[in-house]
Amino acid sequence: MKWLYIRWGGILLAGLIITLLGVQHYRQEVTTISPEQILQEQQTGTVRVLGTVQAGSLSSTDGESASAFQARFRLSGEREGLSVLYTGERPDNLRELKSLVVVGQWNPSTQVFESHGIQLLPNYGYVVAAYLIVMIPMGLFLFRMERKVELLYTEIKIAKVYEPEGVAFDKG
Amino acid sequence: MMINLIKHMRRFEGWFGAAAGVCIIIGLYMGLVASPPDYYQGEVVRIMYVHVPFAKTSLLGYTVLFLGSLWYLWKRDPIIDNMCHAAAGVSVFFTAGALITGSIWAKPTWNTWWTWDARLVSFTILLLILIGYLMLRTFIEDKEKEARFAAIFAIVGFVDLPIVYFSVEWWRTLHQPLSISPRGLSISGAMLIPLILMAVGFSLLFFYMLMVRTQMLYLEELREAKKGRLLSRAYL
Repeated sequence: MKWLYIRWGGILLAGLIITLLGVQHYRQEVTTISPEQILQEQQTGTVRVLGTVQAGSLSSTDGESASAFQARFRLSGEREGLSVLYTGERPDNLRELKSLVVVGQWNPSTQVFESHGIQLLPNYGYVVAAYLIVMIPMGLFLFRMERKVELLYTEIKIAKVYEPEGVAFDKG
Repeated sequence: MMINLIKHMRRFEGWFGAAAGVCIIIGLYMGLVASPPDYYQGEVVRIMYVHVPFAKTSLLGYTVLFLGSLWYLWKRDPIIDNMCHAAAGVSVFFTAGALITGSIWAKPTWNTWWTWDARLVSFTILLLILIGYLMLRTFIEDKEKEARFAAIFAIVGFVDLPIVYFSVEWWRTLHQPLSISPRGLSISGAMLIPLILMAVGFSLLFFYMLMVRTQMLYLEELREAKKGRLLSRAYL
């Protein structure tokens, strides 16, 4: 019985550590701001902006090398939009009416957001929900079952009324 | 009596549990951290590493239940019946898990939690068959009769399994067809390895849970029998 609790304590600890590492690993990639926030606060550091590519605003030119692809578009938030100049490799997902995360810096003098990376929506919430919703009940289900088996073995061993043919209940 | 079965389960369950734990932890790391996001779906593709193994394991679970039921009808041993009962209980958990994770995956990719798709409906029927199986067992008083009826119910219900498996081939469905099929692989290696690890891990975990639950059901019956004997002694 003692080993059962020690084992499950270990599993719980390992789960916690993995969760913390995961949070640490993804925290940077989850935080995004809206185009309105950029316009209001005029932030200049590298930020991740989440918005939708406005219909009819996308124009792109292929550069000479693979990493010299350029695209201009407007990234719209709920109320206002942001002019974006993207330079880099041709992204797979850049098209009109697509919600994207644009990584880069805001240039207050030209009023253009200079971007070097385009990513998909950070929908980690679904992933976390899916994993937690099966892992937590699985742990509880298994723990209850194991505990019950231990209790039953102990109960039957202590009572010693019924001994089935040639089976010793003394393991564990 | 298949009492050796219980003895062997008690002895070897730990290996299955440990192996399952190792596979799942490595698979989780590779799936959640090391593998790349999908170019079209982005990060939600990571739900695959839990959804597909759960679905595969529930099919495995029902296959075990089916084979166990045949075995019971052949040998008529109550311990084999305990194993069938346990397989159904564990499979309900895996089937429900596969449905729930699938639903969470469907929302960002199909923009709906549920749709009347052939794969989804046949899989839900599998869950209902399993629940029906467990309910049937509670309705019958006589142990031998309960085991016999349940075994026949499980064997009849097995018809649903090929329907679940081939539904994506037979009908035009929203659910994607088999990625791993005789036609070849349509999945990148970086995603395949964590997927296989998780599938192996959850299959081992299924056998571990099956062993624990079989012992649990067996011991409960044993305790009941013991209580009966105590009572009969008290009144004799």
